[in-house]
Amino acid sequence: MALQIAKTLLPLALTLAGTGIAQAQDTLYVATGGSQNMVDYVTDYLGPMFEAQNPGWSVNVVGTGPGDAGSQAILEKLTAQKAKDSWDTDVIVTAQLKTAEMVKDGLLMKYRDDIDTGKLVTSDVAKNALGTDVDGYVMPMFISQTAIAYNPALVDHVPTSMSGIRDWAEAHKGAFGYNGIKNGMSGVAFTTAWIYAFGGDADVLMKGPYDKAQEAGWDKAFAALKTFDQSVTFTPGNAGTLDMLNRGEIAMGPVWVDMFYSWQQDGRLNPGLKITLPEPGMPGQPYYYAIPAKAAHAEAAKKFIALATSPEVQAEGIVKKFNWYPGIDASHLQGVLDQASWDKLFTDIPPETLAKNAKPFPLGGYFTDMLEQYETQVTN
Amino acid sequence: MISRKASLLLIAPALALMAALFLYPLGFSLVSAFRQEDGGGWGAGNFLRAWQFYSADIVFSLVIVGLSTLLVAFLAAAIAGYLTLGENRWCLAVLRWLYRWPLFIPFVVAAQLMRTFLAKNGMMNNALVELGLLTPFTTHSYLDWRGIVITFVWKQTPFVALLLAGAMAALDRSTIEAARNLGASRLRLLWDVVLPQVRPSFGTGLILSFVTMMSVLSVPMMINAQTPTLLTVDMAWRINAYGDYGLANALGLIAYAMTGLVAWFYLRQGLKENR
Repeated sequence: MALQIAKTLLPLALTLAGTGIAQAQDTLYVATGGSQNMVDYVTDYLGPMFEAQNPGWSVNVVGTGPGDAGSQAILEKLTAQKAKDSWDTDVIVTAQLKTAEMVKDGLLMKYRDDIDTGKLVTSDVAKNALGTDVDGYVMPMFISQTAIAYNPALVDHVPTSMSGIRDWAEAHKGAFGYNGIKNGMSGVAFTTAWIYAFGGDADVLMKGPYDKAQEAGWDKAFAALKTFDQSVTFTPGNAGTLDMLNRGEIAMGPVWVDMFYSWQQDGRLNPGLKITLPEPGMPGQPYYYAIPAKAAHAEAAKKFIALATSPEVQAEGIVKKFNWYPGIDASHLQGVLDQASWDKLFTDIPPETLAKNAKPFPLGGYFTDMLEQYETQVTN
Repeated sequence: MISRKASLLLIAPALALMAALFLYPLGFSLVSAFRQEDGGGWGAGNFLRAWQFYSADIVFSLVIVGLSTLLVAFLAAAIAGYLTLGENRWCLAVLRWLYRWPLFIPFVVAAQLMRTFLAKNGMMNNALVELGLLTPFTTHSYLDWRGIVITFVWKQTPFVALLLAGAMAALDRSTIEAARNLGASRLRLLWDVVLPQVRPSFGTGLILSFVTMMSVLSVPMMINAQTPTLLTVDMAWRINAYGDYGLANALGLIAYAMTGLVAWFYLRQGLKENR
């Protein structure tokens, strides 16, 4: 009996001793904003791969939560350490608005030209984050897109435009659900799409210049949104919308495309649910890899990001496993990604629709005003 | 008998702890609430913005917490009253054993329980559908203000009932027996004889509940996704999304003011009676 117990406990003791040793070695500290899937990406996939390729290193990842709040937490952590010579976070993964702020505050390191994969991205999002020049400071980890998910069993005629969605939701009280602006970015994205559709010239909001006069049409749009909110169900978050869709409590709502496909892939979501990208468009955003200006392990951080943005990892991890659109240019994935996995990204939303209706978020100034006015005019 | 100086020395650690962990943060939040964000200087700007952004939530918090306190008062009086005046021994034993359970459950767990219980396709509605009382199409989600009130009442009633039952047990039974001999019904006994005598404990329990409910973040966050919502959610949002401590502290001060107002009413009432 005692032998039995010893036999069971021995491997456990060895494992514990093993982790003890690992902690004694160098640790790369990664902080990631975003939903739980982004933490999983590092803990389950990227972290172990980096550890295998770099003996002696272990990767420690913390998630700071979805939405701009998650990135704000990272910003505050870096700001708090500003006076110190060496900061305890090596790699950060943050959303656009706050990354732009960090670049402006001098909290980040210019590193893109130092890594081989820096050349693999030429898209505008790598240079410009909501109107702020971030060229050199960031590598896009992935591009993510929001869309409208719906339950075909409950929706006969799927609306193809924002005004169609508005009319549908008002005709089917409580069947449309979204998460407001306080509980994750899919709700923020829906609000943005609403302003793009009903608030005036969307192009200026995306491309600038920033001019308060452009917001003249917003009052009416927000008043309409307030009325619209009377006939919708509020969900508790990005995941909450998917949950409620899955349980049949709502029939339609804005979601992140990657979360939607991943949940379906994992069997957590009714395989019958579908997504559509309505006109004139809904926003998407990249998440950025960046290195704090005084990161303690900057060299290892560069290695980590180079691995994370290599065509192999972008193909296998970003596209195949987690269903994001790649951060580096899609042309570099040719040959490393099989056609079927690539096509899977476009099951419900064909590339033409994506090209036409996928929009960026508005410039920083408009974005902040929009969120403020949502609170003063819609919820209060 | 220890000297005055020595006694001061004895309470010094406690005082220092109070000052460091309570008075300093309180003072700091007060100062920060009146600090203007743009351009520095002092002013009521944060309060104006608080009202502009969250006036509905301020009123909502007061109404929801007030309503919950009233319901807690009613239920706690009923439970404690039955524990004191009830006669069926079997019922008493069951009630005594059962009513304390929610005390041991943290708010966040209670909120999670209620989420699975009160959802549209949650346990309560599923049970009602199984019983044939509802159909899947006539069920409603209670995950809104009603969910908050239900969770608050469920969680706080045992706390007040416990205080109240203790106070009632300590009463001189002769007054109760006298009233009973004169033919008073149990309801009358509770209302006219027992409750007036335990008023201080009752008031304290209710005020403590009010303050506790004002400060809960997990329950409104998990149960009530829509607006209006409780002030704690707005404070968390201002800090988490914007690092806007000024406005968050202004909201905190407004919450202090609300609880302070309730405590003041209660104290004034107490003073009047003692006069």
